[in-house]
Amino acid sequence: MLPTLRIAVRLRLVTTLATTMAMILVILMVGALFPSVGDSIGRLDVPKGVAELLGGADYGSLTGWMRSEIGAVYGPLVIAAVAIIAAVGSTAGEEEEGILALELAHPITRSRLILAKAAAVLAAVLTIALGTFLGLLAGVAVGGGGVAASNLAALSLHLALFGCAIGALALALAAATGRRTLASGGAAGFAVLAFLINGFAPLVHGLTWLKYVSPFYYYTGNDPIGYGIDIGHLAVLAVASIVLTAIAVVGLGRRDLRK
Amino acid sequence: MQRGEILGFLGPNGAGKSTTMRLLLDLIRPTAGSATVLGRDAHDGSVEIRRRVGFLPGDLALYPKLTGAAMLDYLADLRGGVDRRVRDQLAERFDAQLHRPIHELSTGNRQKLGLIQAFMHEPELLILDEPIAGLDPLVQRSFHALLLEVTAQGRTVFLSSHTLSEVEHVADRVAIVRRGRLVVVDSLENLRAIAIQRLEIDFAGAAPPAQDLLRLPGVREATVEASHLTVAFEGSADTLVKALAAYDVRAIRTPDDDLEEIFLRYYREREDG
Repeated sequence: MLPTLRIAVRLRLVTTLATTMAMILVILMVGALFPSVGDSIGRLDVPKGVAELLGGADYGSLTGWMRSEIGAVYGPLVIAAVAIIAAVGSTAGEEEEGILALELAHPITRSRLILAKAAAVLAAVLTIALGTFLGLLAGVAVGGGGVAASNLAALSLHLALFGCAIGALALALAAATGRRTLASGGAAGFAVLAFLINGFAPLVHGLTWLKYVSPFYYYTGNDPIGYGIDIGHLAVLAVASIVLTAIAVVGLGRRDLRK
Repeated sequence: MQRGEILGFLGPNGAGKSTTMRLLLDLIRPTAGSATVLGRDAHDGSVEIRRRVGFLPGDLALYPKLTGAAMLDYLADLRGGVDRRVRDQLAERFDAQLHRPIHELSTGNRQKLGLIQAFMHEPELLILDEPIAGLDPLVQRSFHALLLEVTAQGRTVFLSSHTLSEVEHVADRVAIVRRGRLVVVDSLENLRAIAIQRLEIDFAGAAPPAQDLLRLPGVREATVEASHLTVAFEGSADTLVKALAAYDVRAIRTPDDDLEEIFLRYYREREDG
């Protein structure tokens, strides 16, 4: 299992580190922008649905600024993309290329192989989340300070588990079908839908419950950058990740390899 | 299969050669029936089988970013390590380029890496799907020599091919598969004995009339073009040769396609019924 994890991490190392660096730089710039624009923008007068999508659109405080600029869209977008690309590429992608069949001609069980690939996705997601935390620390410092480091860590941790859940969904689709396009399209489509559901469901009478199926709800629902971690929500994301990874293991285990 | 033999696995495209090999490695599962490899069930004993088997897939794929050496290191690690000397000897034998990224390598040089990974842990059984694809004739020759060394050590080789001449030169026995069914498993000697033989004969004067030859026992085809005759026959050549002796024979050639004939015969039978 260890060799597969090592090689999977190595193959994505440059991409992951570059994405992490970009994440840090973007957050730093966003932070640096706050002193000059924060006062003038204040609370944007936008429809409630849009404000929900943008994490409240409260630009008057540095906390609200980071919540909307990084927490609401940019952070989840980047971490979901990294997780989906890593999960699908190392499973369905390698299956379509024919590399998976060569690996599985060696004495390693399918479950160990898929768990090693899942661990590599986890490593990439954690690296991005760590970058987000470092970026937030630096961004808040240049933006004037005043946001507790523990809350920045809370947002990053929620982001990490959100990335895990999306990555595990992509892994399950990829392992169960062996189709790269279906798996990445399915996982990305779900992420976008979940984003919209989380924003709009609470506004539609009778559909409020729908937000509970969206991982965005467990990521930002209780505002980690404002109020710290929510153990219950983190647990939901963790359990979803574990269940989806188990589905990936079973899915690959029972299937003929396509190529 | 018998231990220590080289079994050539022949069949037209889509006959099920690769499918059979992948089934032996548990990459695909049978809808019915079972397969036994090295005394173990192909599915239940799969990990142990894969430890003792070397496999070269038909459409070999490797990580393009890695160097050959890094790729082989990874595959060796999946086996818990291999004897480095064996790997290096194989690399030397095939003149493999281990230190360039795989995406820079030609098909033939990638195929060499595929052969090294299949042989480097000195497996008891080698399952090789189209092993000579893309190899130049010199490498083919050293590959053939390697096969003979391996079987001399009592190890077994199961290789598929549609390059019939390759199988003819190395295989002890051949198995021909057609539409997923094994139609014959026999030694090359036995297959040759029943094969249709083909002769091309040039005459100084006129060639014998084709219809006369077709009346001889065993003759299946006879074509005459001016002073050139092509004839195909089964069994003994005796009556044919005696009939031709009445004419002024200048040259006799046998096209080097014995096995091709066997193969095509089994292949054609499908179309006949």
